[in-house]
Amino acid sequence: MADAPAKTARAEWGTRFGFLMAMIGAMVGAGNIWRFPYVMGDNGGGAFVLAFLVLLFLLAVPGLMAEVALGRYTNKGVIGAFRDVLGPGGMVGLGVIVLLVNIALMSYYSPLIGWTLYYAVHSLLFTFTASGFEAGAFMDTFFANSALMIGLHTIVMGSIAAILILGIRRGVERLVVYAVPALVIALVVMTIRGLTLPGASEGITFMFSVDWGALAASETWIAALGQALFSTGLGWGIALTVGSYLREYDDVPLGGGVFTALGESSIGILAALAIFPIVFAVGVEPDAGAGLAFVSLVQVFPEIPLGGLVAILFFVGFFLATFTSGLLITEVSVTTVSEETRLDRTQTVLAVCGGIWLLGIPSAYSADILDFLDFVFGNWGLPLATLAIIGVIGWVLGPKRLRMLAVNRNAGIYVGKWWDPVIKYVIPAVMLFIMGYFAWENFREPEMVAGMLVIVLFPIIGYAIMSVVEGRGGKPGTTEVTGGDD
Amino acid sequence: MPVPAEVLGMLAFTLLAFWGIALWSLIRTLRQESRKVEILKHQDRMDTYSPRALADLREWVENNPDDPLADRARERYNECVDVLTQTDRHFYDWSDTEIEQLERL
Repeated sequence: MADAPAKTARAEWGTRFGFLMAMIGAMVGAGNIWRFPYVMGDNGGGAFVLAFLVLLFLLAVPGLMAEVALGRYTNKGVIGAFRDVLGPGGMVGLGVIVLLVNIALMSYYSPLIGWTLYYAVHSLLFTFTASGFEAGAFMDTFFANSALMIGLHTIVMGSIAAILILGIRRGVERLVVYAVPALVIALVVMTIRGLTLPGASEGITFMFSVDWGALAASETWIAALGQALFSTGLGWGIALTVGSYLREYDDVPLGGGVFTALGESSIGILAALAIFPIVFAVGVEPDAGAGLAFVSLVQVFPEIPLGGLVAILFFVGFFLATFTSGLLITEVSVTTVSEETRLDRTQTVLAVCGGIWLLGIPSAYSADILDFLDFVFGNWGLPLATLAIIGVIGWVLGPKRLRMLAVNRNAGIYVGKWWDPVIKYVIPAVMLFIMGYFAWENFREPEMVAGMLVIVLFPIIGYAIMSVVEGRGGKPGTTEVTGGDD
Repeated sequence: MPVPAEVLGMLAFTLLAFWGIALWSLIRTLRQESRKVEILKHQDRMDTYSPRALADLREWVENNPDDPLADRARERYNECVDVLTQTDRHFYDWSDTEIEQLERL
């Protein structure tokens, strides 16, 4: 790569607000809208909120600080950042794991964005409030139409490519600074509409009644742990990539840690306030996932005054939430591949988006394949990526070094030594626990077998690729950092 | 159905804990950004560490002189000291006495 033609100077976020909205846009996705409200109500309401808040501050806030700081410190994408820390050689393949997981994640997330796009378009056509409309039949017909699904997947990846080609500042930033506030405004308006309906109080009671006994139940903590880790996108390479475009004097811990974790969770809370008062006011059973968004909610829109407009707010907001996540998930691969190859940004975007489009066709063709991949990568692939990133920071670079050199440099808040053991011990231990827990819960199930294959094969593939690419036969090269620092 | 007081209390706590902290951090970081921009209009460099963080950095360099990253840490320490002694506007809350006591590593 030494003889690669020189590329132009690395991009930077144009504004602080742009960086913050990119972080929120990346982390707020389908999970905040269609999962969080139900999980909250179903796991003790207020008790779940307390458990979730504790875990956010214990794991997500420090973890995001570490991941953004690594990106900012190295100013590189995932593979380049790992190389800076580990030195050239096969071990840089840990970065390849993160890359592969992101590509796999996006391959099934893109068809899901296509679903939200389809419903957003139909909300604009007032389909859901038309007479004789049947939500269940509409969804079944839609899911059975594979050609339409693949077409939507194609439109989504094409749109993402078109925006990413424009670059970080002209493409990603220009979109997220409008899309994220638009999502918040849509949910606020929907909340006001919901709270002013007769019977909305039952939805509030469902979500915020406090079952203190739930705090002693392991299920509550497992659910809160899953939400705190997966909703914030900790360790997926997104925060690292977004952080790598920070400017010289930008802060990491306040914006990249506290604001990102609390801001994206706040949108989940807002989604809960927007959705459940309406659902309960109409007397529909609360649900989660596609059942909530595409059946329950669609059934209630015709029943409420201004339901057609509320449907537009919800589905356009939902589409923006998923689309901005997809944009930043894809940017992880674009940034890294662009840095690691001779391709320019446009060629990289086309190659990455083309590859993801191809890999996403099975998930677009069949929702069962999408569900299977979501389960496998959600439970084992993403925790593996988190373990790779936080493990390298905790055990190779060293949290104290990173805190001194990047986290507290230009920082908006001071981060003390409490942070070091959280990064070195607590987060890796939690990730190992969660992978083991899911394996035990799904022992011998096909999903568990596939998850174990991911855990075993991805590191081997990553190591083999980087050993060959760097031409060092996997021997550890010269690294400027050795061992942890504690 | 009236909403029980406990539920309303939890709702208020949740909004305060999540939206309160999120908005506080958003406003704080945007204000800090404005201040940084203002300082950089006046001078081309700016202090990079708070007094507490710089003291941590100095202590770490002194305790780990042979660390592979000690040179980089020393550079960053000295860069901050130079800026503090050569500029008159500072981002962090540095007193004149604190700045006078600073020494390059």
